[in-house]
Amino acid sequence: MLISCNKLKTHIKNSDKIDFLKIWDTFTIRCAEVESVKVVGNTFDGVIVAEIKECVEHPDSDHMHVLQMDVGKKDLVQVVCGAPNVRVGLKTALVQVGGHIDNIEITARPLRGVTSNGMCCSGKELAISDDHSGILELPQEWENGRDIKSYLPIEDIIVEIDNKSLTNRPDLWGHYGIAREIAAITNHELLPLDIEEVKNDKQDLDIKIKNSDLCYRYCGLKLENILNNKTPLDMQIFLYYVGMRSISLLVDLTNYLMLELGQPMHAFDARVVKSIEVDTAKDGDTYTTLDDTERHLTKDMLMIKNGPKYFGIAGVMGGLDSEILEDTTSVFLESATFNAGSIRKTAVALGLRTEASARYEKSLDPNMTDLALKRLLYLLRRENPDLVIASNLTDVYPHPFLEGHITLHKDTLKTYMNKDLSDEEVKRILEKLAFKVEVKKDVYEVTVPTFRHTKDVFIEQDLIEEIARLYGFENLEAKPLKLELTVKEHENVFTQEYEVKRLLATKYDMHEVHSYVWYDTNLLKELGIEKDGIKLLGKQENNILRDDLSLSLMNIVNLNLKNYNALKIFEIGSIFKNKETNRILSIIIADEEKNIETMYNEAKKIAKYIFKTLKNKDVHFQENHNTLSYYDEALSKEIILEDDVVGKIDVLKKKYTNKIAKKKAIVTIEIDFDKYVALAKKNILAQEISKYPTVNLDYTVIVNNQKYAYLTKVLDDFKSNLIINRKLMGIYENKYTLRYTLGSNNKTLEQNDLQKFKERFIEHIKNNNLDIME
Amino acid sequence: MEKELELLKENLQMELKNCTKEADCLNVKSKYVGKKSRIMELLASLKDMSVEEKRQYGSLINTTKKELENIVSEALENLENKVEVNFDDTVDYEVESGSLHPVTIIAKEVTDALKKMGFTIVSGPEMDSEYYNFEALNIPKDHPARDMQDTYYLDNDKLLRTHTSGVQVRAMEKYGAPLRICVPGRVFRNEDLDASHENTFFQLEGMVIDKNISIENLIGVMQELLREVFHKDVKVRLRPGFFPFTEPSYELDCSCLICDGKGCPTCKNSGWIELVPGGMIHPNVLKAGGIDPNVYNGFAFGLGLTRLAMMKYKINDIRVLNSGDVRYLEKFRID
Repeated sequence: MLISCNKLKTHIKNSDKIDFLKIWDTFTIRCAEVESVKVVGNTFDGVIVAEIKECVEHPDSDHMHVLQMDVGKKDLVQVVCGAPNVRVGLKTALVQVGGHIDNIEITARPLRGVTSNGMCCSGKELAISDDHSGILELPQEWENGRDIKSYLPIEDIIVEIDNKSLTNRPDLWGHYGIAREIAAITNHELLPLDIEEVKNDKQDLDIKIKNSDLCYRYCGLKLENILNNKTPLDMQIFLYYVGMRSISLLVDLTNYLMLELGQPMHAFDARVVKSIEVDTAKDGDTYTTLDDTERHLTKDMLMIKNGPKYFGIAGVMGGLDSEILEDTTSVFLESATFNAGSIRKTAVALGLRTEASARYEKSLDPNMTDLALKRLLYLLRRENPDLVIASNLTDVYPHPFLEGHITLHKDTLKTYMNKDLSDEEVKRILEKLAFKVEVKKDVYEVTVPTFRHTKDVFIEQDLIEEIARLYGFENLEAKPLKLELTVKEHENVFTQEYEVKRLLATKYDMHEVHSYVWYDTNLLKELGIEKDGIKLLGKQENNILRDDLSLSLMNIVNLNLKNYNALKIFEIGSIFKNKETNRILSIIIADEEKNIETMYNEAKKIAKYIFKTLKNKDVHFQENHNTLSYYDEALSKEIILEDDVVGKIDVLKKKYTNKIAKKKAIVTIEIDFDKYVALAKKNILAQEISKYPTVNLDYTVIVNNQKYAYLTKVLDDFKSNLIINRKLMGIYENKYTLRYTLGSNNKTLEQNDLQKFKERFIEHIKNNNLDIME
Repeated sequence: MEKELELLKENLQMELKNCTKEADCLNVKSKYVGKKSRIMELLASLKDMSVEEKRQYGSLINTTKKELENIVSEALENLENKVEVNFDDTVDYEVESGSLHPVTIIAKEVTDALKKMGFTIVSGPEMDSEYYNFEALNIPKDHPARDMQDTYYLDNDKLLRTHTSGVQVRAMEKYGAPLRICVPGRVFRNEDLDASHENTFFQLEGMVIDKNISIENLIGVMQELLREVFHKDVKVRLRPGFFPFTEPSYELDCSCLICDGKGCPTCKNSGWIELVPGGMIHPNVLKAGGIDPNVYNGFAFGLGLTRLAMMKYKINDIRVLNSGDVRYLEKFRID
């Protein structure tokens, strides 16, 4: 929202004592975030009021005129001007020779052979409006030769306040509210608004509210004999500076009131208004708003009706047939309050967010509707002294909205602020913000003005905020928390996740990635993988939540295989099934297809290593019979710990891998991290080391038509109390080399012991249809 | 004779120089000081010499023999100390290194700092109910924050959490008061992506519930935390904010570390970065968590972990963080 400091000054007593350039940093930390502060109207000087005394056509141009202008001195000044509205008697703005416009100096120079001693300006050229249809037309009573800045509020400071920081402050959606804050911050006095009271000695207007839950108040007033519908220049400049187009006095005044008080208003041509009814629309009806767009209505939308016909969408936008026309001299003024949620929903549903709806959806104070009408009347009367009030100020207000009352406990205030504030200070701060305060022994009884009570201030903590912010957050000191020295750890998920991540990054040189929790649906389509699952509402793409973390990482694999030949990445992330969330560790190894055996074995080693080093537990692998369709069934393994499946190892099917990269293999490891976290770390007890030496015996077993899994079983069946350890040393074709470490706690093994072991072992191997290389 | 002995020494030294293996050395040894070597011949010939000659050459031959033996044993020792393989000792390989995601690194730093102040780390589900994400946090049904434009609603009546604040009431229910927790985690907003907007990013919720907690405590914790994370005093400012679940509410800004407060796209040219929204926990939220607001109060804050990582590492496009592009991520290493 744009704020004009010139306008603010009119609402604050002794405002010349406030530095309006510097106040905004303070405003930001006291009230709401200021996005920018811009000085405007300082790009020109030497622009004066000048009157056209003579006007002749330029001898060498079909549109320019040669003017003789009265600049308040004895001699007239000759100026060449191309504007269409030049005429004798017109007072306009003239940049004199030596003056500047856009910081460029104006000099006397010939225009097609005729010397021009200066330049007449349009509003756009002076950057005080966007009107470039002709040169400015100034009031006749202005004195020739005087700087136009002495008549018009051209030099101004325009401040942009972040709308988001005002969402909770309906009272700040107009200059008057901002002025109240500035006055409070700087300890100045806010001036009351000049208004014209309405006697109410006429007829009431025919106004009905059908749905008082959605329309809290509707005020109407009929005015006649409005003959001057021209907006004064100073108001035009104000509107232009804060981002509004000047249209006509009546329309401009409704906008002006919205910008001043925050109250949206509407001026209807009184000739077409029969009776006003506020009611919801019928489903399926359509209505054309004044931007000439047909809108589809629903029964949730609140409408203003004129007789039986729709007349406007309440709080959002009016219709074409109610517009003020050039010959309008009588108006029906609307000033109403609607339900914030209803307006917001309507605006969102129609995709039509207007200045009015933006304000209404903040919960405006119903008690300013009549004030706004009286204020508008006052301002309109200034331009139309003979206007006639043609009706009562008709006020339909089914449930008047009252001030709030809050008891603020002094000890609560002290706890929150950790400061002793005097009663005077508390009272001063709150009263500056228009609260009423009654000081009692232990409490303050506070009355909340209605404009702060619609959604903002309800409980004593709300008042503490008001006091704290005006006291100044920067005046509070940092105070450390007192710590009770107890060790309390509620859970250690984060620590365990970090431990594993660090292990993978340091020991295996892997890279941690972060991905999205939904599948890349385009990639799924490209791969030809169908996925169903929990869906994001209202989205057509990337709308399926992942139930397989590794699969959802394939677009990252895809991306990186364009830059790397091989890749090792991981993520600990959530997967979503039915109503459950699970944490999963996914590790992905991608490399040349010819290295698949190494990759696959590394995957197993990594899985084992994680559990072995961080949990002191041993996992093993078994066939997975529930392989997901896009993984290779033959290579799918479950990771087993103490009879529980804690993870799996998979290889993406070749046909999918080929679509990501040719001649590659992609191996995935997944560990159920919820199970991992829940696993207690095994406590390892100290073990005696035998004082007798150990002996290593290597055997190479030939395994025909069987796998290592079979060999393991056979080896497991071979028992001997000499075995300290057994280890697979290597595989060459079908030859598996094993190393047994043998030893005894009571003696040094002798040749005889070893010989017996060897004989038994060879016999066991052969009995199980395996061969041994001797 | 003297000349011959001198020559023997020189020849031995020359031959040893060419020896690279122990075996060669031993061959040379037997040639020069072995039983059939010239020096042994000379020694043996002593007995046939005259007394005069014996006197003249005896000690000389013996000394030379010892000298020859010394030369050989020295050569042998040198050989033993020498590595047997020849290689280029100037080669210097690049080392491979894995990497942690910058958000993981920053989350560790922040939680470490908070742990020192007595906070414990807890977690909550990314898919949550409207109750914990909104209702329990005093966010009414028609609040704009609940709009479809901001929230990812799911077809199972749940939603993707829009903030880590949902854990506030969950933790109160689970652990009661007093409480001092932090919750790092992924959150989701239905937003269009650009250099400073993501639909998936990380926050860290902090919450303290105790007796007699003041706004000054909250400022204290924030200052300590930022000093720990940035290893210097960072300029901060508080300004009023609005969140339904805190009252009073505030926004904590810190001076933009990308441009040092001069103004840049990241801080929208303001010099300040909105970093930590928070405030004193609203009594309704305490009540929702089963905690009596007349006995306990406290504060909560939501730190933008992603934003903090961007500031700390001067990342100017938020989108790279979820891109998974290893070319970018590997630069962050481990710590």
